[in-house]
Amino acid sequence: MEGLAVNARLTWQREARYLFAESSIAGPLFTLIFIFILSALFVPHFFSWRTVSGIVNAATLTGIVTIGVTLLMISGEFDLSVGSLIAVGGYLFGQQCARNSPLLGLALAFLIPGLLGALNGLIRVRTGVPSFIVTLGTGFIFRGAAWILSGGSMLQLTDKLPIYDAFSGRFNLLDDLLPDANFLTSLLWLLAAVFVFQYVLVRTRYGNHVFAVGGQVEAATAQGVNVDLVKVINFAISGALAGFAGVLTFSQFQSMRVASGSGTELSAIASAVVGGALLAGGSGSIWGALIGVLLISMLRTSVVLLNIPFIPADNFEAIVGVTIVGAAIFNNWVRQRA
Amino acid sequence: MSTSANTIPVVEMKNIVKRFGTITALKKVDFRVDRAQVMALVGDNGAGKSTLIKILTGIYPPNGGEIYFEGKLVQINSPRDARDLGIETCYQDLALVNLMSISRNFFLGRELVHQVGPIHWLKISDMNALTRSALADVGIQIRSPGDRVGSLSGGERQSIAIGRAVHFGAKLLILDEPTSALSVAETRKVLKYIENAKARGLPVIFITHNVHHVYMMADAYTIIRHGEKVGTYQRGELSENDIADLITGQRER
Repeated sequence: MEGLAVNARLTWQREARYLFAESSIAGPLFTLIFIFILSALFVPHFFSWRTVSGIVNAATLTGIVTIGVTLLMISGEFDLSVGSLIAVGGYLFGQQCARNSPLLGLALAFLIPGLLGALNGLIRVRTGVPSFIVTLGTGFIFRGAAWILSGGSMLQLTDKLPIYDAFSGRFNLLDDLLPDANFLTSLLWLLAAVFVFQYVLVRTRYGNHVFAVGGQVEAATAQGVNVDLVKVINFAISGALAGFAGVLTFSQFQSMRVASGSGTELSAIASAVVGGALLAGGSGSIWGALIGVLLISMLRTSVVLLNIPFIPADNFEAIVGVTIVGAAIFNNWVRQRA
Repeated sequence: MSTSANTIPVVEMKNIVKRFGTITALKKVDFRVDRAQVMALVGDNGAGKSTLIKILTGIYPPNGGEIYFEGKLVQINSPRDARDLGIETCYQDLALVNLMSISRNFFLGRELVHQVGPIHWLKISDMNALTRSALADVGIQIRSPGDRVGSLSGGERQSIAIGRAVHFGAKLLILDEPTSALSVAETRKVLKYIENAKARGLPVIFITHNVHHVYMMADAYTIIRHGEKVGTYQRGELSENDIADLITGQRER
């Protein structure tokens, strides 16, 4: 019996090692803990469940998008169209909710942005135009699609459907347990997605190919990896997750505008980099992406709470910029030590 | 009967033509490699030797000519096709993904998996153990199969790429400039692995513009200049200087 338990523990430890050790998150994790301790010590009202849940909630939507963007970045590509796909997904879902068929809306919000993502990928691999340019252009096109879809007007619903609570409602279990906590159920979806994609990345053949394609495309090709297919699938995943972020956004606010989600594409790239992903591809992790989003969200909150005269809530971007540069330099330094 | 089987070359390329736009990179080149032969493919930079090999490994489609593998006419349209035939290629410094571990590199493209529906779980422990023992079999010792390839020296990387090709039962091993970035000591080590491969009966194509590296080891030399074959010579037919003269065109045939 004892032997079995030891065995099970060893297996568990080994699994944990595969999931964590191979993903180089030491730097980002250290930064996150460091900033958390600093904020807890020096920022008034920071160390409370209300603030912590606020930080987590603000990170969730960008977090879902960052998962796909990180996966894509590891395979050596960018996606600047995800911000627009949030709006496309949000409208597709919201319009079906208005007709009382939210499940159809959910399916469409995955499928259509996923296909548009695949289109990004096809243009990228068929023409050889860098994805930075391709998705910069398609981002505008998809924003136009969101306009056509909505007629340019804001969609707002007043009737509440139960599905909203499942996607982004009050997280009763946690909120009843912790004083002043205000967690949303979207946290569960984020954690599930992080776990699934981290596992796919480090424990499946597909993940192995993603790293190889971004790390050294010639070597991957020579070993028979279908480079183009890997990239197109990653673009599709990135698009589908952006669509799902639209679903979560709509569930939280019951409203959607044509401009919804704009700017998320850059926050997602920033989060991925802060979380240890290499801009050049070949390295990164989904855990790291999660840490990156949380780190940026935490800083934002701390800066707002600190109430610095020349950095009010609407000027916190300056601080985020400092973090991005700082974290990227720090991660590089940690990577070179490792 | 057995003698005729032995005289069928492992690979025979006939009248290979390759054009890039208006430039003809290869003008009806013939090339053959026999069993257990180390064939040096030599030529100056830009002579066409890499182009010829990239046609054999499915990276470029030829504009003309035929390829026979073990006596059979074959179509090689992708690197995958080449590998399915048993043609393994080690490109200089492009063979491995530096950011990935040794075992992930070793099994790249033929991972050991446990399939559940559409998902292929990696058997990481098995791959680690097999990487270590397979490399030990060909005489390569590694510290840990989980080490990133980027942390190894150029010679170690080249050795692992060769060890991988040998392990996966290559029928033909192609080495593209395997020693050009290596120190003298590392070059010696890599040449030793190639000798081991030859001793196992594996035919090897060794591409280089440095005659000195292959002179002692090659059984035959095929010399290419300006997209044309100068000739194929057996070991001992030419001196090192003769080969250099043929490569540069200071001497015609």
